Amino acid sequence: MALRELSSLEKYLGLKKPNKYSTQGDKKIPVLQNNNGPPLVGLVTIACHLVKEAKRPELLGDSAESRAVVQQWLEHRVTKLDGCTKEDMKTILKDLNLYLQDKVYLAGNQFTLADVFIYCGVHPLIVDLAVQEKEQYVNVTRWFDHIQHHLGLKHHLPPVVVLRNRIYTSRHH
Amino acid sequence: MKLFVSEGNPHCLKVLAALQVSGVQCDVQYVNHDERVVPFLSRPALPALLLPSGLHLFSSNAICRYLFEVSGQDCSELCGQWLEWEATDLQPVLLQALHTAVLQGKGSEVSQVLKGSLNHLEQSLSKGNTPYLTGDAVSVADVVLWAALYPVLSDSSLALDERKCVKTWFDRGAATQSLQSAAQKVLQGKGLQGMKNYMQRQPAPQSSQCRDTQPCNSSPAEGEESER
Repeated sequence: MALRELSSLEKYLGLKKPNKYSTQGDKKIPVLQNNNGPPLVGLVTIACHLVKEAKRPELLGDSAESRAVVQQWLEHRVTKLDGCTKEDMKTILKDLNLYLQDKVYLAGNQFTLADVFIYCGVHPLIVDLAVQEKEQYVNVTRWFDHIQHHLGLKHHLPPVVVLRNRIYTSRHH
Repeated sequence: MKLFVSEGNPHCLKVLAALQVSGVQCDVQYVNHDERVVPFLSRPALPALLLPSGLHLFSSNAICRYLFEVSGQDCSELCGQWLEWEATDLQPVLLQALHTAVLQGKGSEVSQVLKGSLNHLEQSLSKGNTPYLTGDAVSVADVVLWAALYPVLSDSSLALDERKCVKTWFDRGAATQSLQSAAQKVLQGKGLQGMKNYMQRQPAPQSSQCRDTQPCNSSPAEGEESER
C-alpha cells in the first residue's frame, strides 16, 4: 500500500525515473535505496525526500510554522490514522472535521504534502461512510473532494462520490 | 508563543529539553493531564504549542523540530528519519515498557520489551561511528531520543552493558544540563513513579504483535518473539 502511494506521489511530482523500493519488517516499512548515501527508511522520510528531489519545497510548507504543521499531519497519519480502530476512527474524523472548519487545506491556504498524506490515510474510512455519516463530517468531505480533484493529482485510489448538497435536512435513523 | 505541558508526561520531557537546547524564548504553562488545550481535539493532547499565528501544534516531535528550526537548526533528512522512527517504532514499544514498569511494577521485563529498539540504535550508532545520531553535532533527533528514553534508561533496573554505543551516546545526553532540568520538571525527582498519575490515564497499550500479520499471542508480555 505504502509503495503504491509513493509511486503515485512520484507521478504527481513529475519525477521521470521511478525509484526502486523494498520493504522491511512485519509492518512493511518502505525503504528507498539511495545512490548518494545510506538507504532511506519510512513513508514520511521517503515522501519528503521525493518532494525535495522534485524541487517542490513549498509542498513541505513555505514558513517555519507551516513546515511544522505539515510535519505534524504527516506524523499524525503514520502514528494515529494507520491501523486505527473503529472507535478511534470516529474521533479522528470528528477532530479533523472541526480543524478543517475554517481551512481550505491542512496547512491553511496552501496545498501541501500533508493533504496528500491525510487524503490517502482517510480514504479507506471515507469509502465506508454512509451518506448520512458523510454529512456529519461535512468539512472533511468538502476537503476530501477538493483534494481528489486537485489538478494533476492522479491517485492509485478510486474516486469517492461526495454529495455537495445536503439531502437529509435532519438526521434520520 | 506558549507551550503547554503537564507533570509526569514523558512527551513533555522532550519539548522542555528541546526548548532549553534551542534557547528559544517561550512561555511555559503547566496544566492538568486532562486539560483540553487544543480546541479542535476531543481528547487532551499534551504537550501543545500555541504558535504566533494562533494555530496549535499537538505533536511533541513537530514542536521540537519547530523550536530547532526557529533557532536556526534545520532538520536533515537523516534527522527526520530518526524522528519518524521514534514516533512509529519506538513510541509504541516505550509505552508498553512504561506500562509494564510503572503500572505493573515489572521493571525487570522492560529490557525484553525494548530489546529490538535498543539493538537498532546500537547498530546504527556503531555503524555511523559518530558521537551523535546524525553526525558530530547534537541535532533535534538526539534530544528527542534522549528525552524519550530518559525515564527508562536512567532507571537502574535496566542495564545497557552489552550496548556500549547506546550507553556512551545516552550518557552524553543524560549529563547535559538541559536534559537534567527538563527531567526534574517532569519527573519531580521521583523517577518512573513520577509518571504513575499520567500512565493511569492512558489506554492500555496494544501489543505490537497484534497489529501485525502474525496471530495475536494471548500473553504478549511473556514475549519469546523479538520486538521487530
